[in-house]
Amino acid sequence: MNPQKRIAIYGKGGIGKSSTASNVAAACADEGYNVMIIGCDPKSDSSITLLGGKRIPTILDILRDGMEIEEEDEVVFEGYKAVKCVEVGGPEPGIGCAGRGIIVAIQKLKKISQSMKEMDLIIYDVPGDIVCGGFVAPIRKGLVNEAYVLTSGEYMPLYAANNICKGLSRINTKLSGVICNSRSVSREEEIVNKFANEIGSELVAFIPKEQIVQDCERDGYSVLEKAGDTDIAEVYRTLARNIMASDCAVDPRALADERLRELTR
Amino acid sequence: MQQKNLSIMHPRPSSIVAALYTLRDLNVEVAILHGPPGCSFKHARLLEEDGIRVVTTALDENGFVFGGHDRLVDMLQKVEERFSPKRIGVVGTCVSMIIGEELHEAVMEANLDAPVIEVEVHAGYNDNTKGVLFALESALDVGIIDRQEFERQQHLLNEATNVEKKYGAASKDYLEPSRGDVKYTVAKRVIEMLKAGKKGICILNAKKETAYMFADITVALQEVAEKLGVEDNIVNFANLDTELGLPRVRQHAEHILADMDNNVKIDEIIGGLDEYPIAGQQVRQLIESKYRDFDFAVIAGVPHAIPMEALEGMELISITNGPRQVHPLKDMGHKHVLVEIDLHPKTLGVTNIVESEFGATLRQLAREE
Ligand SMILES: Nc1ncnc2c1ncn2[C@@H]1O[C@H](COP(=O)(O)OP(=O)(O)O)[C@@H](O)[C@H]1O
Ligand code: SF4
Ligand SMILES: [Mg+2]
Repeated sequence: MNPQKRIAIYGKGGIGKSSTASNVAAACADEGYNVMIIGCDPKSDSSITLLGGKRIPTILDILRDGMEIEEEDEVVFEGYKAVKCVEVGGPEPGIGCAGRGIIVAIQKLKKISQSMKEMDLIIYDVPGDIVCGGFVAPIRKGLVNEAYVLTSGEYMPLYAANNICKGLSRINTKLSGVICNSRSVSREEEIVNKFANEIGSELVAFIPKEQIVQDCERDGYSVLEKAGDTDIAEVYRTLARNIMASDCAVDPRALADERLRELTR
Repeated sequence: MQQKNLSIMHPRPSSIVAALYTLRDLNVEVAILHGPPGCSFKHARLLEEDGIRVVTTALDENGFVFGGHDRLVDMLQKVEERFSPKRIGVVGTCVSMIIGEELHEAVMEANLDAPVIEVEVHAGYNDNTKGVLFALESALDVGIIDRQEFERQQHLLNEATNVEKKYGAASKDYLEPSRGDVKYTVAKRVIEMLKAGKKGICILNAKKETAYMFADITVALQEVAEKLGVEDNIVNFANLDTELGLPRVRQHAEHILADMDNNVKIDEIIGGLDEYPIAGQQVRQLIESKYRDFDFAVIAGVPHAIPMEALEGMELISITNGPRQVHPLKDMGHKHVLVEIDLHPKTLGVTNIVESEFGATLRQLAREE
């Protein structure tokens, strides 16, 4: 058996991390892999499209009520093709400390979850901006062993991606690839491809911008489940296979801001 | 899902401090607190009396905001350079844990020769024994204790937590502190009972180093009984097993027994100095099988860990060092409850029995007889 893959997808907020993560999870489940997706965003929106649009109680919801979690089935729920879905949850915006929330929830999950060990793929869907120490908890706690960066060809998402690369080297985590989630800007694939190469990595997928992604999301499904015969479903499938096969992670070299601007000009 | 603990209003011992004391028991020479300069100040100072140096990374507002990783790495290196300790501890605090500091990363980066026990702890645990547990887990990881000792300690900690919840400082949502009964009056009562030919059991059931002072009560009672010519009416129980617990804890038992020398005979050893939460069962069996017809018991240390069924029919004189333990003991049925105020600081850094107030009172009254 292959060693377990534990990946995190990083990228600017709103760039498409959650939708990519859930579609990849569904695609891997289609291939027969045991998959778990752990949503680390206080918005807890990572697994909705795997659960037919339903929300599940989050780890922090339960802890907030002063309850102890003892069994994993209190917080681990099976969605599409038995993908295990977990949401960390968090405090209301502007209150408390979401970063600490992630640390506490992840520690709890690690302690109670038996099935984590049996997974072929665990995807940590982290919030867009690594605003504090808590947001890198999955990596710091040795839970993640590979990272992907998701970006479009626009300057701001690339800027964020580049910053994330700096962060990754700081915490000694390797980058397994760059994913382009298209926003239909000009020369997009070329730009992101260049960026990937220059930081020492590679472009592992180019996901087009398609209305169907949003339509499926609105209905509460992944593209794989609701529109499995579309071209974009095939793109997610290829990406999923790519992720499961990947074995060439690198220490990314972040670019100077000057160079980044040149790329997008 | 299990409901959480009741919410207790009075401040209670801190898990950070518990971790520090555990590191001391593990013979750590320097402990680094990764947090604000004032955190655990009072105990850090006391611990120095006991031979463990406590230093702090002194995180300030900037540290809270920008993280304290580099300061911790620096501090680890500085500690090695300046003190060359054979064993080091790093202890988290609320601040460093909230902002997500990874102690392990700093320890790896500092790359010291001495083993480092990392304790990821903050003060927000309801049971302060969590701090002990985390320290022991980490000591197990770096091979300072073995699994067997770890499991033994874990069991003791669970029992200690249970005792506190049932009969101790975590038993009510608020406990009024009290100085207990007047020592003079109670000492008089003890002497009265001795003179009347009553038979008494003296039980030392103390937590670790606090035994240096609680043992003085055993010694004083013995002296007084001898003076009155009724020493045969007293039997002595003590949790002074020298073969149980961490090396440092065994040593306390050895010191105390050596200091008692030939003056006091301990009739029954009821466990090690870390076994105060479970020694009660031993006491109960002993009383049931051998010491049924005794009239009174003097219990020093952690009296609330002795089951009341074991003590049925006896007049109880109990000595604690916790002002918040007085009311729970009275509620349990202990007739006289005494507090040795500020006992703990006086038992740090010593190797001999230290005079207790109650012991001194007993001796004085006996002299006046
Ligand atoms: N390839 C795509 N084509 C069209 N819409 C997309 C695509 N990828 C993501 N989206 C949409 O963009 C929005 C934000 O995506 P989301 O996954 O929530 O971002 P993130 O998790 O990075 O904040 C969602 O409504 C999602 O459906
Ligand atoms: S709040 Fe926590 S970190 Fe701050 S001083 Fe108290 S125990 Fe220490
Ligand atoms: Mg998201």
